[in-house]
Amino acid sequence: MSPHSAAPCATRGPIPAQAGIGLRFQHHQAVVDTRPDIAWFEVHTENYMGGGTPLRYLEAIRRDYPIACHGVGLSLGSAECLDPGHLARLRGVVERIEPALVSEHLSWTVVGGRYLADLLPLPLTDEAFDLVRRHVDQVQAVLGRRILVENPSTYLQFRHSTIPEWEFLAALAARTGCGVLCDVNNIHVSACNHGWDSAAYLAGLDPASIGEIHLAGHSVRQLEDGVTLHIDDHGSRVCPEVWQLYAAAVACFGPVPTLIEWDNNIPPLETLLDEAAEAASLLSRPAGGGADAVAA
Amino acid sequence: MPSLLELQQAMYRSLVGGDDAAAAAHVVANGLAPGARLQVYRNTALVTLTTALRLCYPAVQRLVGDEFFDGAAMLFIAAQPPQSAYLDAYGEAFAEFLADFPPAASLRYLPGVARLEWAVNRALHAPDIAPLDLLRLAAIDPANHPQVVLTPHPAVGLVHDAAPVDAIWRAVLAQDDAAMAAIDLDAGPVWLLVERGRLGIEVERIEAEAWQFTAALFAGRSIDDAVAAFPGAEPVQLIAGHLAAERFIGFEHAIPRRLRAASPEPQS
Repeated sequence: MSPHSAAPCATRGPIPAQAGIGLRFQHHQAVVDTRPDIAWFEVHTENYMGGGTPLRYLEAIRRDYPIACHGVGLSLGSAECLDPGHLARLRGVVERIEPALVSEHLSWTVVGGRYLADLLPLPLTDEAFDLVRRHVDQVQAVLGRRILVENPSTYLQFRHSTIPEWEFLAALAARTGCGVLCDVNNIHVSACNHGWDSAAYLAGLDPASIGEIHLAGHSVRQLEDGVTLHIDDHGSRVCPEVWQLYAAAVACFGPVPTLIEWDNNIPPLETLLDEAAEAASLLSRPAGGGADAVAA
Repeated sequence: MPSLLELQQAMYRSLVGGDDAAAAAHVVANGLAPGARLQVYRNTALVTLTTALRLCYPAVQRLVGDEFFDGAAMLFIAAQPPQSAYLDAYGEAFAEFLADFPPAASLRYLPGVARLEWAVNRALHAPDIAPLDLLRLAAIDPANHPQVVLTPHPAVGLVHDAAPVDAIWRAVLAQDDAAMAAIDLDAGPVWLLVERGRLGIEVERIEAEAWQFTAALFAGRSIDDAVAAFPGAEPVQLIAGHLAAERFIGFEHAIPRRLRAASPEPQS
């Protein structure tokens, strides 16, 4: 697969195929004060569904930087219908912020009108595919725009799953026209937890569908009987294995907007900018420099 | 093979109720017990929701300590998980939960501090809504003013407590031990108005009659109903003050009581 098979950057909208960082409340003032040299910011959509100070900051920052809205609460995989209240709140944020990208997850969080507060795994079945496809169609119709759907980190698989996750995502993109938010850290975490082949995962996605890449840190938990589980916690630097997989992803997909994501132990802004610079150096490597060339 | 809905209901029973049996039957073990895999999700959900409550209730957390707070939060979350993914709106019922929580009974002001923190949280996160345009109000016949029902701004809240919960809240958040020690819990009730000010959240003490009259308006009673209920308040001055402070976003006309009584029953 050649990097040149990737869609040209212009079709990815105004977010350039460069490195951005997750904008967190702790850094609002520093960003406004220092106007850091970074290509774009991503926010958690749910953090801006109200009014007041957070929205004031985002409105100020969006004047100078492209913004991506990344949601965690839409629950595309709920067997019941999407929460109309949440969809309306999402639409409100999108109309107000006019983000360059809008994304959600291949997961579910709501059942029986209760929000379970984690990105829960789906059984990857034909039933789940039909349901997620309908929900993505619905969201794209309500928003009047394409969304990206992100691969989750998972800690369990269901016995009755029949479709590999990458095939599920690739088919979802093909059927709905949605893009894929390829979280390289999540691929690594799930691959370690389930024995998947990360390279096969990347190769299974259509490069033209990749609208964004996420990079983050994770932790490794030692469980009983010497079993280890990789946990996606966004609380540390990107690890060498994930940088290596990222280089392979860039070789596969071509340059794609790439996000440095922290949600726990959030460090000073400089640390995020430092990691973004590292991503930028891999993004700007000449085509053909694959993972083998990356010093881990 | 379970339907997707059956599986998600089983996951709910596992993650919220702690009953893994139905969900675990569908999980691939692959070297690790299904229960241990489900536990990872249960932990993350609990941490996320506890964090949401900590962000909303920092003074309650300091008053009771981290361990007590997390324990109370865990019981609250299990009893009343959120109904939406918009977590800034989660936790309103925590004050009532604390009021009925025997281990917290010795801190009788704790539910009041929690109610104040919920009002502060609302003031922080309520949507931005344009205030009532006074020209619209001026356009109606003054003779109809008594029947007007005003709509409060969602960022404005009213809190009342028998203890000086505003002083406790400030002292705790400032970690001001001297101020905390000086608080007289029997100094009498406080009537508080909480709102989003130009420079941040403002918590102001107002007179009891003014608070009660305002609370009646906020509860959707017409101006003449509120005046009748609290004749000691100064309605013109209070309403003018609220309008100037942009505490209302709209209004509607109530049907006067005498007409309401005479209205025909809807035909079925």
